[in-house]
Amino acid sequence: MNEFLEHGLNQNRRKFLSKLSMGLGGLALGSLLVPGMFDGANEEEVFTKVLPHFAPKAKRIIYLFQNGAPSQLDLFDYKPMLQQMHGQDLPASIRNGQRLTGMTANQTKFPLAGTRFNFSQHGSHGAWFSETIPHIASIADDLCIVKTMYTEAINHDPALTFFQTGAQVGNRPSMGSWISYGLGSENKNLPAFCVLLSKGKGNGQGVYSKLWNNGFLDSIHQGVQFSSGEEPVKYLSDPDFMERADKRAILDELAALNEASYKNIGDPEIVAKIQQYELSYRMQMEVPEITSLQNEPESIVKMYGPECLVPGTYAANCLLARKLSENGVRFVQLYHQGWDSHGNLPNELMGQCKDVDRASAALVKDLKQRGLLDETLVIWGGEFGRTNYCQGALTKDNYGRDHHPRCFTIWMAGGGVKPGVHGETDDFGYNINSLPVHVHDFHATVMHLMGVNHEEFTYKHLGRRYRLTDVAGNVINDLIS
Amino acid sequence: MLNPFLVVIAWYQEKINFNLYFQWLGKMHPMVLHFPIVLGCMIGGYLFFTNHIKKHITILQIGSIVNAASATIVAILGVFLSKQDTYDTQIIFWHQWGGISIAYLSWLLMYLIESNASFQNHYRFRMSFAIGYLIVIFFFTHKGAQLTHGVRVLSWPENKVTETASIQNIKIDSNATIYERAIGPILQQKCVSCHGPEKIKGNLLLNTPENILKGGKDGNILIAQNGKAALLFERIHLPITDEKHMPPEGKTPLTKEELMILSAWIQAGGNLQLKMNAIAKNDSLFMLANQYQPQIGNPMNNSKRGNGMERSFDDLPNLNEYNSNYCTANYSYQGGRDIEVSFYQSKFYTHDNLIKLKNIKDQITSLSMQNMPLKDEDILFIATLSHLKKLNLNYTSLKINQLGPLQNLKELKTISICGLPYDEIALQKFLQNASFEKVQLWSSNLTREQSNRFIQQFPKIQFTIGDNLENELIKITNPIIQQDSSIIATHLDVAVKHFLKGTNIRYTTDGSDPDSIRSPLFTKPLRFNSNTTLKVKAFKPGWISSDVVQKTFYKSEIHPDTIYFITLPDKKYPGSGAKTLIDYELGEQNFSNGKWIAYRDTTMIYVIGFKQNKKLNEAHFNAFIDNAAYIFPILSIKVEGSNDGKQFSKINEVKFPSLEKGDMTRENKSFSCPITTNNAFKFYRFTLLNLKKLPEWHPGKRTYAWIFVDELFLN
Repeated sequence: MNEFLEHGLNQNRRKFLSKLSMGLGGLALGSLLVPGMFDGANEEEVFTKVLPHFAPKAKRIIYLFQNGAPSQLDLFDYKPMLQQMHGQDLPASIRNGQRLTGMTANQTKFPLAGTRFNFSQHGSHGAWFSETIPHIASIADDLCIVKTMYTEAINHDPALTFFQTGAQVGNRPSMGSWISYGLGSENKNLPAFCVLLSKGKGNGQGVYSKLWNNGFLDSIHQGVQFSSGEEPVKYLSDPDFMERADKRAILDELAALNEASYKNIGDPEIVAKIQQYELSYRMQMEVPEITSLQNEPESIVKMYGPECLVPGTYAANCLLARKLSENGVRFVQLYHQGWDSHGNLPNELMGQCKDVDRASAALVKDLKQRGLLDETLVIWGGEFGRTNYCQGALTKDNYGRDHHPRCFTIWMAGGGVKPGVHGETDDFGYNINSLPVHVHDFHATVMHLMGVNHEEFTYKHLGRRYRLTDVAGNVINDLIS
Repeated sequence: MLNPFLVVIAWYQEKINFNLYFQWLGKMHPMVLHFPIVLGCMIGGYLFFTNHIKKHITILQIGSIVNAASATIVAILGVFLSKQDTYDTQIIFWHQWGGISIAYLSWLLMYLIESNASFQNHYRFRMSFAIGYLIVIFFFTHKGAQLTHGVRVLSWPENKVTETASIQNIKIDSNATIYERAIGPILQQKCVSCHGPEKIKGNLLLNTPENILKGGKDGNILIAQNGKAALLFERIHLPITDEKHMPPEGKTPLTKEELMILSAWIQAGGNLQLKMNAIAKNDSLFMLANQYQPQIGNPMNNSKRGNGMERSFDDLPNLNEYNSNYCTANYSYQGGRDIEVSFYQSKFYTHDNLIKLKNIKDQITSLSMQNMPLKDEDILFIATLSHLKKLNLNYTSLKINQLGPLQNLKELKTISICGLPYDEIALQKFLQNASFEKVQLWSSNLTREQSNRFIQQFPKIQFTIGDNLENELIKITNPIIQQDSSIIATHLDVAVKHFLKGTNIRYTTDGSDPDSIRSPLFTKPLRFNSNTTLKVKAFKPGWISSDVVQKTFYKSEIHPDTIYFITLPDKKYPGSGAKTLIDYELGEQNFSNGKWIAYRDTTMIYVIGFKQNKKLNEAHFNAFIDNAAYIFPILSIKVEGSNDGKQFSKINEVKFPSLEKGDMTRENKSFSCPITTNNAFKFYRFTLLNLKKLPEWHPGKRTYAWIFVDELFLN
């Protein structure tokens, strides 16, 4: 009963108290003094007209998030020193009081673990790659490899949230939501921000919908999560007897009802709902064409690997990402779980690489051969790196690695980034020697590539202006071609 | 004693030079003045409303003395203050002498209250005096308020929109003067509130070109004099802490852009008549002024930017009319001329949609027509986009020999024609006369030799060919058996699927591995009536064949007459009671749909019964496993037989392997328990043990595991 009453009055204890804390008078006065203070819609209109601030290099982003944090020391950051010192303790001067996770903080020893894999150099910049990722190595000349990423968080959830939203606490809009809010959708029949999930066999860490949440932005900027089943967007097809015109009529009536209740109640979520119905109506036409991967030619299937036809795999998501991006989706966010190798790292890593190596490289090559790579930014990386010392028992060819925030490797391709290897870590692969790139810097740079000045792209919420980069972040010009 | 002093200084103020001390005192005026105003109003109001003043005569007397004294002090301070800043002379004249008269009236009032008998006794007299006194206070203090808060301080608020509209109404045609384009709007926004008709500080009006030329009390503000920079230039460049900085601290400051425009303009001579088209286009003044967009409202509040004036450039059209659900046209960035156009949804494409762009055709620099069903007429139109730099024709229904007209686009540097049927002669002809720099021509029927020929023939063009991996041998993925159930009630249809088109699936049911020659090809669903082990394998030319996938199906023939629980299932997953297990309805992959029975804290024990003794061979339990949801395989099944339902004797117990570390399992699985006796029983009791301690590698280590069972099959 109470819920009905609350709903009718659009009032509940929390809303009432939060209004009181400002003072009801203050509220009324505020709206008198600032006409339009409470209509958020204006702000919406504006950015699409003000942005991009300058000519963008990238129009779209595909972010291949390697969830759980792949080991940079076994993939990109080759450290022969660790192999020479295999089993010896990490010198305290190198660790230098670094905060450790609860998982290894109680270890009495920190034996260095050299990678078990062979490394070789590829491409004109001589970048190192381990034998586990031959396909990624084959596109070395297209990659901008950042060896000196660093972050502040040492555990998955805050680190992941930091990378996705620019803050470690999970109430801010996701990167994709910011892009959707600022630049809008290119293709009005598809959401501007799509999310695709897949799971590897390695030790997994959760991904939560807060990572693609719109935060304080309008809910239409929330990432649309595609299902990993055979029908990526459910219930898209109309029942047999329903004509397209009937559907239109139903939606028009529904929109009229919704508008009426919006006038009564004023809840902006109702407007979002109306827009969502409209978008899904248009998606009915566009999505089935895009998500039917079976029509891809066989050479494409071989390129991504045959798993790309099995729904819910990383390869299928890469192929789907290309199709979505090619059709104007601003931000396609992939997550591939299973990189959190605290133990049994070599075996888990090989499994993970088998999932992602071929398809990641294929995505870059496929975009390139279609002439889309120069306007599509592909990002590949995890939320932090892994330690140079072993977690748990160290044997000759088996080891585990804990979380390491001080340096790790990500790579980017296309979208105006400068191919090459950026930055250098020390011989232990523990600290950064030169050209560090903080997560905020990464965000600032990505925004810059999209034609957005990260300092001017703000949203006012609860009396304060927010940015993706909060109050920090510098564009790293070295990464831009 | 103060009163004559007041009149004297007011009268001779022009000739007196106040020192700093007095100036400081003068600043007290706005603070102190409220005291006598309030007191005066209170006394006036009291006299007006009260009949018997004698009741409170003492308070009234004291009040009126204080009132009169403070009114005089305020007036004196006011005179000091009036010397320091330049106010509107007319208003200040009235305010000053009004203040002085209030002071005198206050002394008169004090006298009347103190000692005038007729005032004390006659209400009418008091009332009329009070009214007059109040009117005088209101009128002259209002004049003071106008000095500090502007002329319209107490007038009815007008709708501000008209004012902002006038600011928006900037002349943007090239014939406009720089004053109209930028200087005027800046002054209007940042200066006129104090240097306008409402409030003329420093005797300076900045609202019209004529008034600007007139200058203020210090003379001309635009021309450098006596070796000093122009006054306007000097004032806006002083540090903000300097008292003379303009706009003063607390007012909205000039933006960096506005400051630069004003400076450049003054340095260029401060000509108010200067026309925009008389300035060189690469002159910084022109560029600054041309880009200038006035801010409306709070300069930090971007939400107001762009309303009604999203473009301040004379020849840049609004693109709304070109945008639809199937076509987007956007400026590549705000402030630039270049327009990028993309088409979507081939079903809705028409030539008219493309022709619609003709008004902006000279601004289109990038066009994406991917997947559109294009014809010759479309290409002819595209060939008129004279500034087109980038064109995407991937997977359009064109042939290369139709692209000819595009050769004339001299600025077209990047062209993608992926997926167009490869035609060597047409392509050569197409590329010969064109000025392309980058060409993407990947298509599935293009070979490496063909593409190499091109790379050599056109060394100036950077080709992106892509990889055609037809010859690479890759292992095909496993076929998928599409039947969750492994129990055959009467019969069971089983389909097998593969996602890659043109894949052959071969199968066996005799336990041998399928091969590509003898094993039958799967074409339609198989129907099984008895225990069967199905093995399938995928084959495709050009691929390495898949692994063998197998699944065993069990026949269930016997239906018990009764079934009941000994231990009750978990409250959250009771199903529809014990009969759920024999309703032939499977729970599929959703363990909370009410078709599953689950146990966790207790061991699952239940009994089935028959009217007559029944001989059983085997019992199959269909269970669900999802280790992420803490649902593990059944650990063991024990079966006991009885003829009275009370005394059971053990028949058999089967143990099953649990999950290994790293197993990620989410599946339906059948657990079989052979009933190894030749005796027939009326009752059978089953005990299904769940894992009581999850392994260390599992997130729920050392807690209980769930078991989920949806069906029992007997034969």
